[in-house]
Amino acid sequence: MANHFSNAAKKGLSRMGDLILPASGEFPKYSDVAGLQYLDELVVNAPKEDIDSLNLLLTILSFMPTFILKWLIGKMATSQSNPSNGFIGVTFRQLDVGLKGLVFTTYYGEKINPNYTGKTPEQLVDFKINRIVD
Amino acid sequence: MHDFIVVGSGSGGGSLAYYLTKGGAKVLLIEAGKMYRKDTFPKSEADTSAQLYWGGGIEFDKDARMGFLRTKMVGGSSIVYQCLMDRFDDIAFNDWKSESGVDWFNNQDMAPHYDAVESDMLLHTFVESERNGNARLFVDACDKLDYKWGALRRGQGDCGADKGNDCLACLGGCHRDSKQSSLVAFIQKGEKLGLEIQTEVEIGQIESNKDSVTIKGINNGKPISFQGKKVILCGGSFGSTKMMLQSGYKSKLPALGNNFASHPQFMWFGLQKEKVDAHKLMFQSVASKDPNFRKQGFKLENVFAPPISIAMLYTIYGAKHQQYMKRYRHMQCIEVAIRDENNGTIQIDNKGKLIVTKRFTDSDMLKKSKGLEVIKNILSTSGAEEVFESSLYFGLHLMGGCVMGIDPNKSVVNPDFQVHGESNLYIADSSIYPNAPGINPGLTIKSLGHRLAQQLIK
Repeated sequence: MANHFSNAAKKGLSRMGDLILPASGEFPKYSDVAGLQYLDELVVNAPKEDIDSLNLLLTILSFMPTFILKWLIGKMATSQSNPSNGFIGVTFRQLDVGLKGLVFTTYYGEKINPNYTGKTPEQLVDFKINRIVD
Repeated sequence: MHDFIVVGSGSGGGSLAYYLTKGGAKVLLIEAGKMYRKDTFPKSEADTSAQLYWGGGIEFDKDARMGFLRTKMVGGSSIVYQCLMDRFDDIAFNDWKSESGVDWFNNQDMAPHYDAVESDMLLHTFVESERNGNARLFVDACDKLDYKWGALRRGQGDCGADKGNDCLACLGGCHRDSKQSSLVAFIQKGEKLGLEIQTEVEIGQIESNKDSVTIKGINNGKPISFQGKKVILCGGSFGSTKMMLQSGYKSKLPALGNNFASHPQFMWFGLQKEKVDAHKLMFQSVASKDPNFRKQGFKLENVFAPPISIAMLYTIYGAKHQQYMKRYRHMQCIEVAIRDENNGTIQIDNKGKLIVTKRFTDSDMLKKSKGLEVIKNILSTSGAEEVFESSLYFGLHLMGGCVMGIDPNKSVVNPDFQVHGESNLYIADSSIYPNAPGINPGLTIKSLGHRLAQQLIK
């Protein structure tokens, strides 16, 4: 498996993740749970140029001041209802879906840090399905 | 040389390849994705998105507003979809006929093909005892509001519901071979009859010769080519259109890439005081069947998804998001799918990347708002404590781009499925749909495959 994401990129994702999913009630903050070691598995079918752009973006986010990250998240949160189809509107919508996809996938599902010992978000959501094979 | 090469193994390609093989032809089925079987399908939601979809999950239109889910494996979308098997009504066929000029677009001419495909599949119409919490809420509210609803007919064998199997797992491929995907209902049967399959080949170039067609592509990073007496593209709306555009057909066929529609779907959620458990058992068993909704151009479906997908649909960040997810088991969910206008376009940029443009017309917006009005009534009648709409929406039924018709200036294939001006190149998938039928397209795609197979075997 290729190693697409730098440590700085993983740090950038963690920082964004903690703002998107902070510690709250029983829920742990993103960076306590995040399965960052699985990022490469999640992009096996993604075009290489998109992966490279994402790696660069996350790396930049790793050293941005927190207030800029919060501003960015605010823009992402309203991007889907933004009527603009110009460059800015499209970019924030792409960012919203792309970052959310990585953050939620490595938090609410099975791709979490194997060293995390608390109750997982998936357990807190109480999601269980039966896969019965005869 | 193969008699036929079928490119793409979804609903159209799978049935076509099977019927051609059954008819005694030497057939090669080519697929860009991998082959998964019931015991090798991904088991987690994350792996399903990453491994089974182009782009690693969702692809977007040019404006990054509408998401498209496009599968990449043997069996195509029939592997992950719900395998709902609906025949078209007269409204759908009349609209196709009027747009295309194709006179066999009618239920009488299509009936033998529907019959043949249905006889090769296990079909089941859901009964009351199979409804889960989400379906019960939907049905009860529709009855109170006098909205007509109906049980869905699905291609399935033994789903093991009586043993507690949850069909949400089969969104990543059915681990019981119960769902009558193209793989189960056709391709695996075809393999036993000698159907050859070549996986992980992405075709990028089509060249027509006098008595054959050569197709060129990439397999594990290396160039590869095949030659068949006849080649049939079944890569779906995006796949077939992309192959045709890359091969330079746009200059000969101005309609190539036009008439794209996708039955856009908007999901609404109601939070109930009691647990709904919309993810359990048969999670999609009923839908609206109201003639008034049909006339107005929308339908409602009773759907749900695993946690990561549900998390994606809620656009508020921070602690509120986690508290919302905490109520996952209390969520009631309904979606409205509209019969959208076919005003979308499919193009490629200079690097060969797909550029899809799909903007709503006033008529589309009206259909959406009519549908949402009905959903709000249902959720309110069901006693939902809180209601919210996802601002993300999706096109799951990708149609058009290589539409069928009699006029080469307005269509790409003729009524015999042949690309206009070509004798050995055909297209038989949802890309040939002249417009959006407003009905699940799977059964008709398979039946069109049967029709073409009969024609070619003759």
